[in-house]
Amino acid sequence: MRKRTILILDHVEIELMENILRVDESRSGSATIVSLSGRMDASSSPAAEAVLSRLIGAGERRIVVDMSDLDYISSAGLRVMLASLKRLREDGGQLLLAGLKPEIKNIFEIAGFQRIFSIYPSPEDAVSSFDARV
Amino acid sequence: MSMVEPMLPSLLSTSIVLFQMMCVIVVFAYLITRTRFFSEVLDGVFTWKNQLFLIVLFGILSIYGSESGISILGAPINVRDLGPVVGGLVAGPLVGVMSGLIGALYRLTMGGFTMVPCTIATILAGLIAGLVYIVAGKKFPGITVAVSLAVIIEGIHMGLVLLISRPLSQAVAVVSDVAFPMIVANAAGMFIFSFIIANLKKEKETRGERDLFHSELERKNAELQIAREIQTSFLPEKIPGIPGYSLAASSIPAREVGGDFYDIITAPAKKTGLIIADVSDKGVPAALFMALSRTVVRANAEWHSAAREAIQGANATISADSRSGMFVTLFFAVLDHESRRLTYVNAGHNPPLLFRAGSDPVPLQITGIALGALADADYEERSMDLCPGDVLLFYTDGVTEAIDDQYTQFGEERLVELVSQNINLPPADIIEKINSAVSVHSGGAAQFDDMTLMVLKVGTI
Repeated sequence: MRKRTILILDHVEIELMENILRVDESRSGSATIVSLSGRMDASSSPAAEAVLSRLIGAGERRIVVDMSDLDYISSAGLRVMLASLKRLREDGGQLLLAGLKPEIKNIFEIAGFQRIFSIYPSPEDAVSSFDARV
Repeated sequence: MSMVEPMLPSLLSTSIVLFQMMCVIVVFAYLITRTRFFSEVLDGVFTWKNQLFLIVLFGILSIYGSESGISILGAPINVRDLGPVVGGLVAGPLVGVMSGLIGALYRLTMGGFTMVPCTIATILAGLIAGLVYIVAGKKFPGITVAVSLAVIIEGIHMGLVLLISRPLSQAVAVVSDVAFPMIVANAAGMFIFSFIIANLKKEKETRGERDLFHSELERKNAELQIAREIQTSFLPEKIPGIPGYSLAASSIPAREVGGDFYDIITAPAKKTGLIIADVSDKGVPAALFMALSRTVVRANAEWHSAAREAIQGANATISADSRSGMFVTLFFAVLDHESRRLTYVNAGHNPPLLFRAGSDPVPLQITGIALGALADADYEERSMDLCPGDVLLFYTDGVTEAIDDQYTQFGEERLVELVSQNINLPPADIIEKINSAVSVHSGGAAQFDDMTLMVLKVGTI
């Protein structure tokens, strides 16, 4: 019963997250594109982290995070991106960012993260850079 | 036994009597199961008191079962065995047999040619039920077993009558009339009892789990409260006075604990180190990382004389400990009291703002990446000279990114305007103004991120 209660609480939280952040997956050539739309803050970031962890755990090595529809990213969101990048690199993979709005790009730059992330204008550019590396 | 009554009204009145009997059983079952004694026994706690209580009550139920015996189509049916069976199934053989004994003794006083088998059957019912209780692992075996057992026991009851009562032809006649209605009546009575007991058990379990959940929640809250106190103790207890300057700071975590911190390090040779920092994420993970970062940065700041080397050293240590992608944005400045020279390293922190009379606020831009993100990162050190009247505002993004219910951020523009308007106030009052303006902006909604502010004002020496 206790477990069930907690599950119900989790469910509510997940529902709230979905209102704030949408996480979609699609495939393009050899890469998986994870599209984030909405707001990525401390309460909604776990939804994105769950998807990225699952993909990396399943052996995905080429991930493009499409941020074209992302309106806001907090430090908690940056942490999820950084953690995924570090994990992928350890496994010989690569995580590329694409389609950042100016305000999102600014947040990455303030933290100095443009130096460790490869940022592309669009998901297509990111995917073709993968293909160019082969 | 009137044989002249027409068939249908007799069936109707019999049904009504049976219904009344079931009502009595329902009330009885409800009352007995609500007692403390019954509750104790259900929890497996046996005392002579609660056992005696159950023996007497199930004995009384057995007597009622004999007394309410009604005639169906001319044959007497009763639920005498019900009390002892329930007693045995709930509290074991002792309660079953003893309450059966009470019912049996009463039955003896009633006489009749089925007296002996009926008496034996009642005691035997309590005993069998008690044994089933033991086989079921010393607990009530559940509705299905209980109702099936009631049926089997009535079967044995009938068997005993056929075995013992004589003349046999009369025994056969009674059994064939009475067997079916009695089995149904006892099974129905048993179902009522089992249903109420099963409900009660479920209710108890739910309550137990709920209580456990609550007490765990309370414990966690107490632990968080302690964590908060420990974390607060990491912040400077009081702001050290710097001759010729005034300084104030505040830090409000969004939850019990947070990832923001500020620090003021008094260094030799009339220098002071100023730190403001923001750990990615919030809550307990951020708080733990904050404790680590604060200690590492402080140790490095005390060890290295140059700000750049201190931050570079701190970053190497923090990066080595950050596997979860945690990082901390940090602004570190060393203020030389007399020359008013400020030397700083900005590790990915949102730029502090320098307010100087007659010009727009100047941001102290980043000079390197957030700590913990990249182990071998390079940091640049910059210097600037402060003037009397200058106000330096250090803050974390919890201030500017505080949102209202439309997701509109408080924003840097509002912050700059507010500070400009209140530039002549003492630092503590400027901070107070900002905190209350942000709180008005978020409209009393839950604070979303940790908020930390530090204001340094340059006076004349």
